[in-house]
Amino acid sequence: MTAPSGASVGAVRDVPTARASIVSLSDVHRDYPIGAELVHALRGVSLEVERGDYVSIVGPSGCGKSTLLNLVGVIDQPTSGTVAIAGKRVDAMTDREATSFRLHNIGFVFQRFYLMPTLSALENVELPMAEAKVSARERNARAAKLLEYVGLGARQHHRPSELSGGEQQRVAIARALANRPALMLADEPTGERDAKTGAEIIALFRQLNADGTTMIVVTHDEDLANAARRKIHMRDGRIVQE
Amino acid sequence: MLLTVLSFALLIQTPQGAPRTIAIDEAFASQAHLKVGDRVTLSARPDTPADSAEVVIVGAIARRGADPSEVARGDYVVRMHLDQLQRIAGYGDRVDRFAIATRPSADVGRTLEQINHVAFGFRAYRSKDIAVETSRTFQVVSRFHRAIGIITIVASSIFLLCIMVLKVEERRRDIAALRLMGISRLSVVRSIVIEAGLVAVLGSVLGIVIGWVVSLVVNWHYQALYRTPLYFSIITPSIVAFAVALSLVLGIGAGLVASARLARTPPLALFGR
Repeated sequence: MTAPSGASVGAVRDVPTARASIVSLSDVHRDYPIGAELVHALRGVSLEVERGDYVSIVGPSGCGKSTLLNLVGVIDQPTSGTVAIAGKRVDAMTDREATSFRLHNIGFVFQRFYLMPTLSALENVELPMAEAKVSARERNARAAKLLEYVGLGARQHHRPSELSGGEQQRVAIARALANRPALMLADEPTGERDAKTGAEIIALFRQLNADGTTMIVVTHDEDLANAARRKIHMRDGRIVQE
Repeated sequence: MLLTVLSFALLIQTPQGAPRTIAIDEAFASQAHLKVGDRVTLSARPDTPADSAEVVIVGAIARRGADPSEVARGDYVVRMHLDQLQRIAGYGDRVDRFAIATRPSADVGRTLEQINHVAFGFRAYRSKDIAVETSRTFQVVSRFHRAIGIITIVASSIFLLCIMVLKVEERRRDIAALRLMGISRLSVVRSIVIEAGLVAVLGSVLGIVIGWVVSLVVNWHYQALYRTPLYFSIITPSIVAFAVALSLVLGIGAGLVASARLARTPPLALFGR
């Protein structure tokens, strides 16, 4: 993997000097009506994540870890309780406000990469920057540096179909870092990957965190979970162990 | 003067004397293996005695005009001098119809009135009115074709909309991922509509090229079949403009409907959660 060039990569440049809370959840409940039944996905979860932290959330399927990630990712709203990201309350935002907040503050990495198949790796990384109205020259330069950072400097102009699964995930990670997010969220990033690719992703995440990116990862992968500084166990909508 | 002679006998003869000339149409020349300079014997009926038949020489072979009413006609056309025709047909100075050409400056309406005022047993019409009268069948056929075209366009539009909705629906997870990354609804809709517009333009260009090639083949085949310079299929600038405009409206409309439907759906619902 190529060593990061801290001066040019936003997520890398924002190395924290003071420990401050970037994620703050207080007594969060999330209920879903399914038919006549009310499912309590989260039951009074409180959580603080500091800048530069690396948190993994583990637990059995249906324990509420993805719901928690959705609330932190500002793609869902709690039934009750408060959620603040980077000092801003995000639990009652309109769709437009939430979309803009995600664009500028949160990077997502999914189990499947969801790269645009007709765009090159470089163009895929440029996509969120284009939405954020970053100038063409700057986004091109920044995307090239991010791809260099994830070790794909030589494959910038390849389309997703010309890249391996691990390479595609690295493009997706570079894309998540495009707008220099305060927080990066990953949902099963090593799922469906072979052991070698999984190890590459774990190493890249470690590197990202070492360079200052705050990370929250939801996973079933023990190796990935153990790579985090903090490991949170969930069961039945509650945090049961840390 | 042009008259159609429905029944006649022909005998190809060797040149003798100085017979007068006639003009025959191309289809007839081809069928009877006649060429300019050949001598033929003309008579009104096949059983006419040879001494009362008229020997003439083929002076010209004429192509058929671009007249739709002539296309399906199986009979042959022979053009001859008026006195010859009178002798052969045995009508004397009687004719079924004749045409009067006017100078460009003439008052056609007034001339028509004057002729019809003194006419006895016949009536004069403008050539334009006769053309309208004789082309009624073609107008009906044309309307029929238009109706088929409209039905085809409506059916294609519904088909296109369904295809577009399905194609966009296939991307629901990609769109969900884009929305999670912070791409706005407007950007999602705009990108799909632009893509739909480009596909529509490319599709209409391809359609025009295919239509033009098919049109060439159709004209080549039927012009040869009916020996006519008539164009059976034409692609005019207005047809091209209509096709591109319709394609754009349909493509963009379908893209708008499909993308707006998905953009309204919350990203988590698009992910199936």
